[in-house]
Amino acid sequence: MMTKEAPDEFERWVKEKWGASKLPEGGVVPYHSAYGYKTGDWSAFKASIDKEKCISCMNCFYYCPDAAIIMDENMKAECDTTFCKGCGICSKNCPADAIEMRRVTR
Amino acid sequence: MSGLREVTGMTGDEAVAYAAKLVNPDVVAAYPITPQTIIVERYSDFVNNGEVDTSFIPVESEHSAMSACVGASLTGARVFTATASAGLALMYEILYVASGMRCPIVLAVANRAFSAPINIHGECTDQMVCRDASWVSLFGESAQEAYDETIMSFKIAEHPDVMLPTMFGIEGFIVTHALERVETLSKKQVEDFLPEVRSTKYRFNPDEIATFGSLVLQDYYMEIKRQQEVAMQNAYKVAKDVMAEFTEMSGRTMELVEEYKLEDAEYAFVSYGATAGNAKAVVDRLRNKGEKAGALKIRLHRPFPTLEIHEALSGIKAVSILDRSATFGSPGTILQTDLASSLYGKEDVPTLHGYINGLGGRVLTLPEIEEIYEKTKDYHDVGMTSTTDWVGYRSD
Repeated sequence: MMTKEAPDEFERWVKEKWGASKLPEGGVVPYHSAYGYKTGDWSAFKASIDKEKCISCMNCFYYCPDAAIIMDENMKAECDTTFCKGCGICSKNCPADAIEMRRVTR
Repeated sequence: MSGLREVTGMTGDEAVAYAAKLVNPDVVAAYPITPQTIIVERYSDFVNNGEVDTSFIPVESEHSAMSACVGASLTGARVFTATASAGLALMYEILYVASGMRCPIVLAVANRAFSAPINIHGECTDQMVCRDASWVSLFGESAQEAYDETIMSFKIAEHPDVMLPTMFGIEGFIVTHALERVETLSKKQVEDFLPEVRSTKYRFNPDEIATFGSLVLQDYYMEIKRQQEVAMQNAYKVAKDVMAEFTEMSGRTMELVEEYKLEDAEYAFVSYGATAGNAKAVVDRLRNKGEKAGALKIRLHRPFPTLEIHEALSGIKAVSILDRSATFGSPGTILQTDLASSLYGKEDVPTLHGYINGLGGRVLTLPEIEEIYEKTKDYHDVGMTSTTDWVGYRSD
């Protein structure tokens, strides 16, 4: 997966639950993109893609609101679980019925 | 400072514009509204004539004005704007954005009554209702104070321990349009007083990537808000230091609160803005009659200078609070509730008698203030510790 890591400071701030005196002022986040926010751990469902059935139409790729669908080297859809929030839009829009939403158990 | 002082005749609005010209902010985004108009008009003249280096953004509303100021301030620019009444109310949403994102914007308010009924004259309600917006808030009594507070506001707002927006108010027409004697400062004096570039901890910068205005929910919101309260507490000390420094530079005494003949006073007036001038005039009259009267002017309203006020008022029997702002169904006038919270449970505190007056530019005459004084004495004599009245209106 192409996930880039957030800077140490941000990782520590989240892990250690920093308070008012340590956090940057004014809610500024010293990081520039969604790469640092692993929104995938919010989800109750995950997209499970059957690459045999995938017809490479890329519907799921375009419909995914979190850009969590990645096309692999064979142009088959793949789910980036680090960012998949489990909304199921890809599954609804798949003409080949290749995407199944599976409940995540933690 | 040299013995020579330069003196000019200016209205309150002009004083603000000329002081802002000396500061030479990077960005001014403003929308004209009576009685603030002259500030924006004069300042746009300076921009047009090339007398300042400011980018002037003529926006389509006050909501946009403050939004543009926030954006500009986040790039590290020194930003100034001005408004009044309905304009300030329209800015209200963005006032919280400006303080929440820690933008040290300076805002001149030409205090004016709220609609309806529509009215363009002086009243401080507009600024008073912004007291919880985490803005440092000052009031000025005269064109001179408008001039001085314009310059001081930048220094308070931009202090690294504060980084909060600052507003200062002068009453519509009474101060904004009255021609007064103003002692001016030189460009050099202001340049020495204010740092050339304002400090920034975080700002839009292609080399230092950051997210501004991010979504902050239950898990971090309160921490970010708590930072603002700490900054406000710092602002109290910073304002005190800045005023002391300004006093030394200009030769004009600037303090968080101004005491007038309070040392041996038994009864006192507490007021802010232009009303303070009248209160002082009445104190002189009463002193001539043998009354032990005094007056306290509150310059800094947020953060509220509790310590100074307690010190100034301890030992006084009763105070008349002259409050030129409206509040309805409240336990006291806006200033009175602040005073009551500051003094409650402390030793030697006066009884508090609030008087809502002067709404919509209604004149509060000196004899009326003398009547208020007598009324307060009567209330005190019969043992009332806190009263609130409206004065100067017709009831039948």
